[in-house]
Amino acid sequence: MSTVHDFEILSRLRRERSRSKFLRASLAAVAALIALAWILAACEWRSFDFASRTSKVMRFAQELVPYALRERAFSWSEYGAWIADRWQTSAAAATVNTLAIAFTAIVIAALFGAFASTAATRSLMTAEPYLPAAHPTSRWLRWGWSAVANLTRLLLLFLRAIPEYVFAFLAVAMLGPLAWALILALALHNVGILGRLGAEMFEDQPRSTPRALRAAGASRAHIAAAVLLPTSFTRFWLFFFYRFETCIREATVLGMVGVVSLGYGIANARARLFYDEMIFLIACSALLVLCGDLASTWMRERLRAASRESLR
Amino acid sequence: MLDSSHIARGRVLDGRWLSLGAALIAATLAAWHLDLFATLAQLVDLDLGLLARFFAAAISPALSYEGAVPAGTPPLLFKALEAARQTLIFALTGLSLALVIGVPLGIACTRSFWNLAQRSNSARHRLRRGAWFCARTVAALLRSVHELLFAILFLAALGMSELAAVIAIALPYGGILAKVFAELLDEAPDGPSHALAASGAGRTTNFFATRLPAALPNLCAYAFYRFECALRSAAVLGFFGLPTLGFFLAQAFENLHLRELWTYLYTLLLLVWLIEMWSGAIRRRLVA
Repeated sequence: MSTVHDFEILSRLRRERSRSKFLRASLAAVAALIALAWILAACEWRSFDFASRTSKVMRFAQELVPYALRERAFSWSEYGAWIADRWQTSAAAATVNTLAIAFTAIVIAALFGAFASTAATRSLMTAEPYLPAAHPTSRWLRWGWSAVANLTRLLLLFLRAIPEYVFAFLAVAMLGPLAWALILALALHNVGILGRLGAEMFEDQPRSTPRALRAAGASRAHIAAAVLLPTSFTRFWLFFFYRFETCIREATVLGMVGVVSLGYGIANARARLFYDEMIFLIACSALLVLCGDLASTWMRERLRAASRESLR
Repeated sequence: MLDSSHIARGRVLDGRWLSLGAALIAATLAAWHLDLFATLAQLVDLDLGLLARFFAAAISPALSYEGAVPAGTPPLLFKALEAARQTLIFALTGLSLALVIGVPLGIACTRSFWNLAQRSNSARHRLRRGAWFCARTVAALLRSVHELLFAILFLAALGMSELAAVIAIALPYGGILAKVFAELLDEAPDGPSHALAASGAGRTTNFFATRLPAALPNLCAYAFYRFECALRSAAVLGFFGLPTLGFFLAQAFENLHLRELWTYLYTLLLLVWLIEMWSGAIRRRLVA
């Protein structure tokens, strides 16, 4: 009998759980969209002819062996020597350049992103931040301040929505084949992301300390510098290293627009049909991304441990 | 005891100032290595005319073709919408494949599924540890190659194929999903799973009955964020020949039809904005 009683309680709990029509409709819509996408794909895409593709793959696999070693029997030591030679002549410099581009871009993005977050924080960019004003504020003043926050958010959205590759393509075409073009492309996209994340962080902060500072007469800049930025320091570092990981990944391919990084070597090798070199450079980029991933994970673990330590 | 020991000291060698200083020094070294300060002078005398025209075109995007087009081409806005539709199709198919790869791999990458928390040295435990390590290595390897590099590889090996491009998106995204899903699943509250284990449930039943449902809202929220990223990747694949927005962006720029370029840029912006608003609404209801 107690099992029947438990079953009744469970059924009642199940009936009373919170349901959201919007969520159910959204998940159904996503499933329908995915099914529709595959149906359209099956109708519109070229058919995948396995026979001709397999022969292409065979030929490709043969071309992966370096040209110098192709005639003779394959020996690992010669391959190793070929790799060492390629590494010294081109790959090492390209890898270091890629890392340098990624790091410079993320530091620039962090600096400008911090500024952009303060300009996009709605709780700060109002006519009466944190405390009601002493005198009634005019409608135009209130509209002006909220326009600052909304325009900054719109700009950040634009910077976020355009992929880094598009920025890099346009930058190299308009600024010339400089490393600055890639750095600006990476930095612009990441300012959009870091700015938005930072603004959300600032808006989520408890209002007591900024209110106290405001009551003592601090300006918006004072509040940002003394309260908002220092208390969100650790979380900002977490975002920084997360985006650093992504920047390394992107920096490896941005070179394909024509300059500097590993992507340039890869595109070059593909254009000249040197598939052996192409595969080697792709492996180099994978290694770089793996190292960046490890470094970023280690730093974020230390940051999380430090913040847990300070909360105790 | 109430004293000021808990207040962060603002000394120069405080951890925060040290890390900020280290980052700035490292960035300056990187910039010097790339010769950035020297080329800064080159940036000053660049083609300002093109740059000015580019920004001027932002205010007046084209609503019809600039330059002559063959008779029978659909209107520009139709073409932009068609490109957006193709971008959506590639992103959806890519992400669905990535979920098929990422969910099982993600479950295999968690510590809790393999029950690694119990310290034992039996052969079965070492086997489970080995399986977990293999799953993590596979996920890391999938993650380390960018989707564009996979696309180039498949392009060289298989020739032009839409299915190959979708697989190129799906593989690294599957790896990323696996890693983040594993973290979210491991961070799910483990009270229920301890209770179930105490009442004798098996490892797998325990996992699927307690951790997976508890972490499901976070998993869905992250999957939506990945969908946004997949939209951008699908757009960029257009630069390599797929009929998505990137293709038309490159074409418009190479013909120097800057106003047409901005039409396509605004289309991409609109697409990403709509998906972001939807995704934000879902995340608010899921994670709140």
